[in-house]
Amino acid sequence: MRRSAMRRDTMRKSPLAKYVALLLAALACAQLVVATTMVPVSVETLASRAELIMQGQATRSWSQWNTQHTLIYTFTEFSVAQTLKGNASGKIVVKQLGGSVDGVTQHVSGVRSWQPGEEAVLFLRASEAKDGTHVVVGLVQGDFRLQRLSSGEVRVSNGAPEVQFLNSAGAENISQSKPMTLDDLKTRIRKAAP
Amino acid sequence: MRYGSKLRIHLALLAAAVTAAIILMPPPASSHLPELSRFGNNLAANRWDFSSFPVQWNMNPATGSNVQGGNSAASVIEAAFNTWVSAPNASLPLTRGPDSSVSSESSSPANINLVCFVCMDTDFSKDSSTLAVTITTSVSRGNSDGHGGTAGFDGQIIKSDILFNPNVQYTTNGSGSGSTQDLQTVATHEIGHFLGMDHTGVVRAVMFPFAPASEHTLSYDDDAGISTLYPKSIPDMPTGNITGTVRMFGSNTPVFGAHVYAGSTTSALPFPTIFNLRKSPISTLTKPDGTYTIQGVPPDSYIITAEPLDGPESAGDVSGYARAFGPAIQTNFTTRWH
Repeated sequence: MRRSAMRRDTMRKSPLAKYVALLLAALACAQLVVATTMVPVSVETLASRAELIMQGQATRSWSQWNTQHTLIYTFTEFSVAQTLKGNASGKIVVKQLGGSVDGVTQHVSGVRSWQPGEEAVLFLRASEAKDGTHVVVGLVQGDFRLQRLSSGEVRVSNGAPEVQFLNSAGAENISQSKPMTLDDLKTRIRKAAP
Repeated sequence: MRYGSKLRIHLALLAAAVTAAIILMPPPASSHLPELSRFGNNLAANRWDFSSFPVQWNMNPATGSNVQGGNSAASVIEAAFNTWVSAPNASLPLTRGPDSSVSSESSSPANINLVCFVCMDTDFSKDSSTLAVTITTSVSRGNSDGHGGTAGFDGQIIKSDILFNPNVQYTTNGSGSGSTQDLQTVATHEIGHFLGMDHTGVVRAVMFPFAPASEHTLSYDDDAGISTLYPKSIPDMPTGNITGTVRMFGSNTPVFGAHVYAGSTTSALPFPTIFNLRKSPISTLTKPDGTYTIQGVPPDSYIITAEPLDGPESAGDVSGYARAFGPAIQTNFTTRWH
């Protein structure tokens, strides 16, 4: 094992070239992906599956056990800034599996929570429990977090490879392109769910 | 592809200054990318305590018509568990327990670690884009462990259930295609979560959030993670750690959440082929003070890379890591090699 270089100017051509090759090989694999826990779906597919699409800001969250005391759910209240599909105003509550109560934590792969103040465009449907709450379509895929840049641009990402077109077999191909802006996302949603 | 942009030098952005040192020593029992939980002021890696009670997984053998192929689902799940159990340098006395007839997650008892193909009572099962979820329960020290005792440390996993989506087509034949998913590939990833592993940014790792159509073997990154969580008292192979700090060039401020990985510059295979591991970079994320420790690194020559976690894996894929520490993961820097 060799002690690695410590200077900033150690971007040597030979190892870099090897690494570029390594990354390109990895990319070749990545382009063939199917999901391990999620199948990447397009904005358009998410829009068609969602009953409610809204832009909002998380205001507070809390966690509690279900009635059987077997599962912990986390509830996050969102202040609705704009609806892009369906009807909602004021505040809505989004329910997610997992959370912490009384020293017990349930972690669910593929679920991420929100901190108060975080902004997102959410693709939602009513919870199967019919308790007035909503759930995110496709776990993280229906959760586009907003990132406001100092330039004024607002970017959005759901953390999953984006899907933009269908291949000849009708399956959705993964295509990661330039970062999506909030305006781009809203335009695609409006086209898919007029 | 977003990785491509990382290969360009963006002059407007500041570089990360990385110092790295290799220290040959046994890895401590926390690091890499475990699932993390915060208990008061204590940040803990979630893991099982195999000495406190026998840890078994319990299969509900019932499957729907969505599971097809020449092999039984149970045999595929067993093979996926064995992939982790046989990982070099890791000690995982995990066995298959009695089958279970439990068919809903909300009624899964505390002493059962359920593998279920027919559980329909969680909202995820209505989304065909979600293949499976793993629900891991961990507790703080002193809480009931669900087996008549109490947890010996914060973050002790006491239960883990794997639910496969009944609305997804699976094959047991070893390779997925189209909308049909390879069961063993999905199961191997989910079992990583079962054991306390979080997602990694290494593309070729089983714990990368997205994977090829068929991937049944662990990568060096997966093995570094699992052997750090559950180290074998006498390792099969010697490994060491790489430590350092990532800072913004100029301001010298530490970078939190930088994806740092050690990539081999040789064609050597430090782990003999008998271990059936795929060679890959080995990674970790920096802590809020910019420090990192890449553990479980086998003897070889490495180049260290620090990159922003901005795709194909993003900060959202390791949200538990950021949430556990508090601040948001930083991506406002460019990739550097050292």
